[in-house]
Amino acid sequence: MSAYFLDRVAFAYAGSPALRIDRMVVEAGRLTALIGPNGSGKSTLLNLLAFLKQPDEGEIYLFGRRTDGGDLPSLRRRVGFVAQNPYLLRGTVLDNVSLGLKLRGIPRTERRTKALTALERVGLAGFAERPAHELSGGEGQKTALARTLVLEPEILLFDEPFTYLDQASVALTETILADYARKEGRTVLFSTHDRLHGLALADDVLSLFDGRLVNARLINVLHGRLRDGWFDTGKLLVRVAEDITRGAHLAVDPSEIVLSPAPLTSSIRNSFEGRVVIIAEEGARARVTVDAGEKFHALITPESMQRLGLVLGKIVWVNFKANAVKVF
Amino acid sequence: MNYFLDSFLAALKLIFQFDLKTYRIVWTSLELSLSATALAAALAVPLGAYAALREFAGKRLLQQLLNTLMAMPTVMIGLIFYGFFSRQGPLGELGLLYTPTAVIIGETTLIFPLIMNLAMTAVQSADARLFATLLALGATGWQQLRLVLSEIRLALFVAVVTGFGRAIGEVGTAMMLGGNIQGLTRTMTTAIALETNKGEFELGLALGLLLLLIAFAVNFLLQNLQRRDVR
Repeated sequence: MSAYFLDRVAFAYAGSPALRIDRMVVEAGRLTALIGPNGSGKSTLLNLLAFLKQPDEGEIYLFGRRTDGGDLPSLRRRVGFVAQNPYLLRGTVLDNVSLGLKLRGIPRTERRTKALTALERVGLAGFAERPAHELSGGEGQKTALARTLVLEPEILLFDEPFTYLDQASVALTETILADYARKEGRTVLFSTHDRLHGLALADDVLSLFDGRLVNARLINVLHGRLRDGWFDTGKLLVRVAEDITRGAHLAVDPSEIVLSPAPLTSSIRNSFEGRVVIIAEEGARARVTVDAGEKFHALITPESMQRLGLVLGKIVWVNFKANAVKVF
Repeated sequence: MNYFLDSFLAALKLIFQFDLKTYRIVWTSLELSLSATALAAALAVPLGAYAALREFAGKRLLQQLLNTLMAMPTVMIGLIFYGFFSRQGPLGELGLLYTPTAVIIGETTLIFPLIMNLAMTAVQSADARLFATLLALGATGWQQLRLVLSEIRLALFVAVVTGFGRAIGEVGTAMMLGGNIQGLTRTMTTAIALETNKGEFELGLALGLLLLLIAFAVNFLLQNLQRRDVR
């Protein structure tokens, strides 16, 4: 079952195209990450999915039903949307969290009970009577999340959830999003420019680049041009699959990268020598960044990290097959 | 100099001994300007908000017109309505000239463009995210309007208070349409302008001091409201 199905959707701001999506599916009951660099159209897409903007062309299906010409307020009430840098209204945190319930005519006592539960859920128990404009950025964002969660929407959309949060809040927000999808069976879609983070967290990943969906995870994105089966980035020559003839960007899936102490020789492989510059925890795996002229991020298991004896500054080889390279 | 000092002391006496004649004039002033403000606000705030939220042809022209009308000399409003209300005028039969109603109508017309313009600007300068937030939370058209007005209520209040300040301080309209009739249309400003000529300098001075007090109080209120609004 798909929560969303987009068919040839296009959107432009005052004539300059922002989004062109031929076909896109968001599976119901799953946690989906929308990844892409800043300015790739993530917020625009979320605004379309929240029915705050209408596409210039194409059709958005919500749980299999056409939405064009539908009643916008009732469509919007099925979808919860937490904006990046959300707006809080005058009044207390409680006023803000109960606003959506009030608009739906829920009685006062019920509003209060539900709002307090939602605040507790986002880690803001005891904040109910605080004036909303005294909150920090992160607290404001969590208030906005509670304001949306309290409405129990069928779909939860969240634009850049982790931007303003400290480490503890990031972990809590991750759990809330994951639980909402995996325990409560709702559909969750969040956008992030931190592609590795999105990848580690989500069940599905949608990649947006220049307003288009691309079939690549948008990590290790390099720019350059194609020449006879090679992609020239200006610093490296990357071997690509022979049937690729078009594209100015390439991406290498970080889990397709193999790190080794010596080059793995094979004609269809790329092997570059580089230095380990970043080692970080990413979910249950390690994220290793190697500078080989271009920077490559690899996701590897803690075991292989130990086996390779990876430390900062160590010289390793970055290896990946030509058909692990996506060109677009 | 003695003349000035003596008059000043006499004026203070009028104020602090709660001279009935003086306070009757203050009361008339407040009554007329507050009525005009209430009437103008009731029309101008909803219209201004509506005009701000809707896109229509001639919106820019409307705002330019309102801006121009804000600079309308008070005596011109008085003159125009005098033409309407005078015996030979089109509305002469109503017998409105030199009545409190005429002053209220004149002052309402005077401050309507001011309040509408400020209300329109207040809605237009509301945070763009406010509208998206209300939509995303599922607000219907009426709910949006109500919430937007409630969200910018301080700015709207500032618009109304500014209108009141202009109404209570103006002299041209009140003089031409009210005629300075004691107990009926004798306002602070008309009394200052006309009674002083009759030798009642201390009354003029007392009223002047009270008018200043009101003007400063309104200004003080406005500044505080605006400070609270900027956060």
